[in-house]
Amino acid sequence: MRLRKYGLLVAISLVCLLLLTAQTRGLGMGRAADAVALVVTPIQAALVKIHRGAIGLWTAYVDWKSVRSENALLRLETERFRLQALQAEETRQENVRLRRLLALRDRLPLATLAGEVVGREEDGWVRALTVNRGRGSGISRQSPVIVPEGLIGRVLQVRAGASVIQLLNDPASTVGGMVQRTRTPGLVEGHAQGMVRLKFMARGAQVAVGDLVVTSGVGNLFPKGVPIGRVVAIQDKGSALFHYAVLAPAVDFARVEEVLLLTGQTQQDLAGLFHPDS
Amino acid sequence: MWAQFLLMAFGGSLAQWSVVPALSLAGVTPDLPLIVTVFVALQRGPGTGCLTGFVAGFLQDMAGGGLIGVQAFTKALAGFGMGLLVGRLWVSSPLVQVPGLVLLTVAEGLARYFLLQFFHFPASLGTLMAYVILPQALYNGFLGSCCVLCMSLAAAVRRQA
Repeated sequence: MRLRKYGLLVAISLVCLLLLTAQTRGLGMGRAADAVALVVTPIQAALVKIHRGAIGLWTAYVDWKSVRSENALLRLETERFRLQALQAEETRQENVRLRRLLALRDRLPLATLAGEVVGREEDGWVRALTVNRGRGSGISRQSPVIVPEGLIGRVLQVRAGASVIQLLNDPASTVGGMVQRTRTPGLVEGHAQGMVRLKFMARGAQVAVGDLVVTSGVGNLFPKGVPIGRVVAIQDKGSALFHYAVLAPAVDFARVEEVLLLTGQTQQDLAGLFHPDS
Repeated sequence: MWAQFLLMAFGGSLAQWSVVPALSLAGVTPDLPLIVTVFVALQRGPGTGCLTGFVAGFLQDMAGGGLIGVQAFTKALAGFGMGLLVGRLWVSSPLVQVPGLVLLTVAEGLARYFLLQFFHFPASLGTLMAYVILPQALYNGFLGSCCVLCMSLAAAVRRQA
């Protein structure tokens, strides 16, 4: 067995030496090399193709992975930009609202205080807003609250750091109003359904749909001329002494975010200072 | 069984011509047929190792365009020598196999160099050692350790199955 092992080694060595000697003596191995090449070359070519295919697959996978991660990054970035755009738009809108509020405050001939809405109560029982101005800011009960479009309501409760404002469409709200065009007086009341009505209009009053109703200033609680709403329907009860008009409030209470609380008083008619349809 | 080992030698040589160039690191490529020869010799002893080395080296000589018989001879010697170590050293341990592969690559390189001296090979031993033999020996060691790891994993999987 051992002899066989060494015999194999010796034989192989001899073959190699013979091969080498043959080559150095000028006996070429061209035919043998050609034969090997004939067998080997197609296999080599196939292997190279497989190898290139594998490399291609790998490259595609790496590319796909990088594209995927890049895509995730871009998505994040897009989301960040979208949020930034939203924030910028929010800031822009707030800026517009505050500018309008500031312009109104500058126009008004009485002391005011700006407040930000921090809470809402809008079920059928109570319709109110909470603003971040309270006792410390010098707010008192019954102070009128306005926005550039018109009247919001009045301060119902004053707390330490906040005030509760009763909205015009609160069922318990009553404000003295009048039709601006005909000067027909009445009482503006809220309703459980959320609408606002001008009540106690004399039967002969020439009130039409589209007429603007403003505060009458009677009782010196609300300054005169602050827009309340426009007449959208007139309810005539036939033989009743009074009839009433349904109003579309000048202010969209659901979208109010900043308000002006009136802390001073004036006898001046403020109608010209508001833009109820803006 | 012989056919299987010859096929392995043939496959190793084919891989050496086709796939191995892509594994080149700073111009250094592993000697896959030598690795195959070593593992065959470790598994089957000096006779099979010698024959596998001869076939693998012969194919490399044929494909390489150099003197035919040089690598056939040195790889046959390497296969035979490695096969002789089985039973004398604890060659089943990767701690022996991998450094053994590195040393064997160096030895095979030296043998090839000295053999080529008979044919007036021009390069100096220092240059060959620094730029070819030693880097290739290290690469072979690394690749050999990967092979050992794969083989032990495969063996573990087979045992579990």
